[in-house]
Amino acid sequence: MSLFGASVRRKEDPRLLRGDGRYVADIKLHGMVHAIFVRSTWAHADLRGIDTSAALADPRVVAVITADDLPPGLAPLPCIDAEETTKPFNQTILATDRVRYVGEPVALLIVEGDRYIAEDLVGLVEVDYEPRPAVSTAEAAMAPGAPIVHSETNVAEVLEYDIGDTAGALASAPHTFTERFVTQRQAGMPMETRGVIVDWDQRRDGITVWSSTQIPHSLKAAIVGYLGLSENAVRVIAPDVGGAFGVKLQPYPEEIVLAFAAQSVGRPIKWIEDRYEHFVASTHGREQYHDVEVGYDDDGRILAIRDHAVTNTGAYLQRLALVEPFIAVSMLSGPYIIENQHLISTVLMTNTTPLNPFRGVGHVQAAFVMERIVDLVAGGVGLDPAEVRFRNMLPNDVFPLHRGIGNVLAGEIIYDSGDYQACLTRALEVADWDGFRAEQERALTDGRHLGIGIGFFVEETGLGPYESGRVRVEPSGQVVVFTGACSSGQGHDTVLAQITADELGADFDDIVVVHGDTDLVSSGVGTYASRSAPVGGTAVRHAAIAIRAQALRIAADMLEAAPNDLELIDGEVKVKGTPTRAVSLAQIAGRVAPGQQLPDGVDNYTLDATDVYHPTTNTFAYGCHISTVEVDVETGVVTLLRHVVVNDSGTLINPLLVDGQVQGGVALGIGGALMEKLFYGDDGQPLSTNFMDYLIPAVGNMPEMTVEHMAVPTPLNPDGMKGAGEGGAVGSPAAIANAVADALLPFGARVTETPLDPVTVYELLRDSTVIAPTGA
Amino acid sequence: MTSHDISIMVNGVRRTGSVPARLTLADYLRERLDLTATHLACEHGVCGACTVIVDGETARACLMLTVQADGSEVTTFEGMTKNGELGPIQEGLWTKHGMQCGFCTPGFAMTISELLDENPEPTRDQIVEALGGNLCRCTGYVKIIEAVEEAVAIRGGVT
Amino acid sequence: MKPPDFDYVAPTSLDDALTALRSDNDAMVLAGGQSLIPLLAFRLAWPTLLVDLARVDQLTGIVEHDDRIVIGSMTRQRQIERDAMIASRCPLLSTCLGYVGHPQIRSRGTIGGSLAHADPAAELPAVVLALDGKVRVVGSSGERTIEAADLFNGFLTTSLRHDEILVDLELPVAPPRAGSAVVEIARRPGDFALCGAVAQVEVSNSNTVVDARLALIGVGDRPVRATAVEEAMVGGASPQEAARFAAVGLHPTDDTHASADYRLHLAEVVSKRVLTKAMENAR
Repeated sequence: MSLFGASVRRKEDPRLLRGDGRYVADIKLHGMVHAIFVRSTWAHADLRGIDTSAALADPRVVAVITADDLPPGLAPLPCIDAEETTKPFNQTILATDRVRYVGEPVALLIVEGDRYIAEDLVGLVEVDYEPRPAVSTAEAAMAPGAPIVHSETNVAEVLEYDIGDTAGALASAPHTFTERFVTQRQAGMPMETRGVIVDWDQRRDGITVWSSTQIPHSLKAAIVGYLGLSENAVRVIAPDVGGAFGVKLQPYPEEIVLAFAAQSVGRPIKWIEDRYEHFVASTHGREQYHDVEVGYDDDGRILAIRDHAVTNTGAYLQRLALVEPFIAVSMLSGPYIIENQHLISTVLMTNTTPLNPFRGVGHVQAAFVMERIVDLVAGGVGLDPAEVRFRNMLPNDVFPLHRGIGNVLAGEIIYDSGDYQACLTRALEVADWDGFRAEQERALTDGRHLGIGIGFFVEETGLGPYESGRVRVEPSGQVVVFTGACSSGQGHDTVLAQITADELGADFDDIVVVHGDTDLVSSGVGTYASRSAPVGGTAVRHAAIAIRAQALRIAADMLEAAPNDLELIDGEVKVKGTPTRAVSLAQIAGRVAPGQQLPDGVDNYTLDATDVYHPTTNTFAYGCHISTVEVDVETGVVTLLRHVVVNDSGTLINPLLVDGQVQGGVALGIGGALMEKLFYGDDGQPLSTNFMDYLIPAVGNMPEMTVEHMAVPTPLNPDGMKGAGEGGAVGSPAAIANAVADALLPFGARVTETPLDPVTVYELLRDSTVIAPTGA
Repeated sequence: MTSHDISIMVNGVRRTGSVPARLTLADYLRERLDLTATHLACEHGVCGACTVIVDGETARACLMLTVQADGSEVTTFEGMTKNGELGPIQEGLWTKHGMQCGFCTPGFAMTISELLDENPEPTRDQIVEALGGNLCRCTGYVKIIEAVEEAVAIRGGVT
Repeated sequence: MKPPDFDYVAPTSLDDALTALRSDNDAMVLAGGQSLIPLLAFRLAWPTLLVDLARVDQLTGIVEHDDRIVIGSMTRQRQIERDAMIASRCPLLSTCLGYVGHPQIRSRGTIGGSLAHADPAAELPAVVLALDGKVRVVGSSGERTIEAADLFNGFLTTSLRHDEILVDLELPVAPPRAGSAVVEIARRPGDFALCGAVAQVEVSNSNTVVDARLALIGVGDRPVRATAVEEAMVGGASPQEAARFAAVGLHPTDDTHASADYRLHLAEVVSKRVLTKAMENAR
């Protein structure tokens, strides 16, 4: 019986449930010393000098490392999606002559003892800062005479896409409006902060690195490059990772510094980021505003959109700095036709923690802006918002659809498959759209303000450049699957075993999945952009298919039959029509184990196949969120009543796990819609540095949730999978914002920003021009 | 500055030692006893990942000094597994997919165990109230609630 | 986020605790630790000595008298929450505990610790203020009683002197025809409130208000008795009318959680709601 598509329990859980998880903070090595980073306390300052003498005089201090202790001429950390025109505002491994955000690493202190001692001693490193004026907001950074974060300008890049004739369409449109939409600075905030252990390995004259990372192979490549080591000398291990969401998606300066330190100190060094540090030292996301001008007609057809997005990307361009600014405009049109689009995306530097993609990157803003626009258009023409969506939606015969925009990371945006109308129709049914309208009217007579809102999204998933998958069958019958994808809680051990079991008929319990170790997995990219199933899973599928072919060839020899007369079922190769003549995969593996004489036509010992799958273009998951809310107009508190998601991630390997991804994504979206915001003072001082200032949703914030799946499989991979990690986070803020806007319609309040925390809602009501109807 | 002798029953075993006053109970468990399932995710008492049971009541191990636990009985997540067997709460979490990355899970399990000891058949509202002090970033909580209901069913109750 | 170094004693008598506190100008009292230990983790507090009161047995306990209840300062919040006598004779205290943090906090947190910490968004100080409770403190100059109105002096500041230890709290028993309520506006259950109110009203046989007590939290640097609101209630105003006086004398400031204007607005809303609920409970 195939497990593909089955909601099986996860293989990884029993170990974790016994308390045998092994996260980086749990690892202890003999002789280990402890590291702490000296970080800038100024948002912007010249670095005049670092006096390490007091620190080095303390017997507990093992070493202090500053930029001067690193090899000269080290390249700054790259922004790998930079265009030729992108300014080189990149971050050096340690600050050299200037610091540009509070939290920027300036030096590394290594002590004998523990983190307690390290925190005691970190003040011994004296840094001489000469403060400079700082900017923390986009407006301040663009103002004439603004302090410049790097050189000449705070604008690092401007992306521009022009489709159709937007100026003409806007000029001739029967109706137009302009609006500014604002999304706030947020962060992924996994429950596990970052952490690194480095150990110089004398035997390989190299280094072993444990890091809570999503990208062990990229980290290895970075260390190889910076330290000038051979690839064989570097091993990177991602142990159990306690959530990542994009925050652990790049080689960070700390990891490189610690690698250098391992070389010079010669003892294992452990650094565990604490939460206070995490708030300033790990990347942020989402801070953007969009100035839009929209043209539409009396039928609610959106004719043209001009969108100028401005992203406050922080002090340095991180590894994937252009992704959020790009996707936020390039995916604006989502499921809609919109023939005329003029999209500009400005990437702006400020003296704040740098941004890098996290869950839903750019799509969250695109969906929020677009879905608000649709509702405003609906209000403008007096039509039902669902109806306006249907009128603007792409029909089903357009796929594959070239959207006319290149893709920052690869190729071009080409929508692969979908049925947006069916998705919207089903979501409206499940949410009982019409029934809710009646309930809303009744509630209004009691003075209660309910609202319903739609958040439809299309999201690029299954990104390349590639992923590796290897399957190996041992003579014992165990099947080992190696993947370049790297789990931070998604369930790779389970779903990749499901694919393999499906292809080979091997017993699910006999399959082991290996990931996160560059010694064991020869190549890989990592886990992000909802790619582990469509790309990682496809590589495993291809490798398993190759195993199948190998197995049949070997079994042909063993059974003295032609390969075409054989079939692989339930882990055994049988002669068709004569099921008693069969050999198991274990026996087949044993037949070609070293020491055997290989059958004719078989070149390789072991039953082992590797695929490195390079998708030529990526998939596009999509879905429809519908949120219902009640707004307490006296306090501004928004209570979520119900949240419906109809999600299409193509064919699902394990629906239970996909439900978990969607629900978790919705929780993140609720945080973004209602409560999460990272504040900075005008001087660039971070004001949100703990969980009392930055609120993430708790169990009591979750509404009743219904998640349904539909599937229009993608033609891009054999299983039709699209990826499901982010969709829950992408459509939910749009739906919630639209629901709140709907609830506040009687007041003429205009919802244009998130979070819709109580104060914001209160101010919308306070400043609105309409006195709400009371009672009947 | 000074060291303090302590004697604490941890998961039914008496542990003794000498600790600095400022060593938190969480760090004592993790670093001195190698009981690393008690996780540190915030160290300021908000997230609940470090929840343990002290003298029969849940407490945040990051907000206790080891010296305060002298003479007490402490149960950690490791103590929930007897003879390698998963109990009802763990089975519930497994069956209902109530964990993803697993980092918050030990803290939740401790809170759930206190809830079910005090209230073997909680309503959904009671479950939600009891879990309010534990944060999760992966699951969206829905399946954690279902896991509690499953644990109740496994224990023979009806919700 | 590890605490700085300090010395530690856990005396078993109040006298020994006082001696320890006097011995070091930078000594601090350790009660439940739920407010102090986070400060230590952020290294916002640098005591050289912690005096742990947990083993001073006389500081724990709940004693019922005819017209008042006396609660030892080290009594854990969860114990108070579960106490049936307090639920029936001082329901406002019982009710407010459900809003204090989460069970894991309340198992360790103490009533004395909460009062001495004096967070302006905390519920327990507000209840003590609303009910005109009294705390008994002991220090090097002997024993004294501090009325609630004189206890909370500012942000995280009480009138306790450095060498004084809060011994117990006295609260009046609720009169027979009293109703009490708590209303909080928070983004998540258990959070510090953006604004909140605790109230107790007493009604006569003809349901007129003979006594009204209302304290506001989250409206400034300390909990505030909304005396103008109380007077209006006794004067016969409805909760909605009386609540219009809620902002009198309040001077909240803007912060990242809320604007001053919002807090003033909420002060009126929570006052109206809490009095409405309290009145319903009084009947």
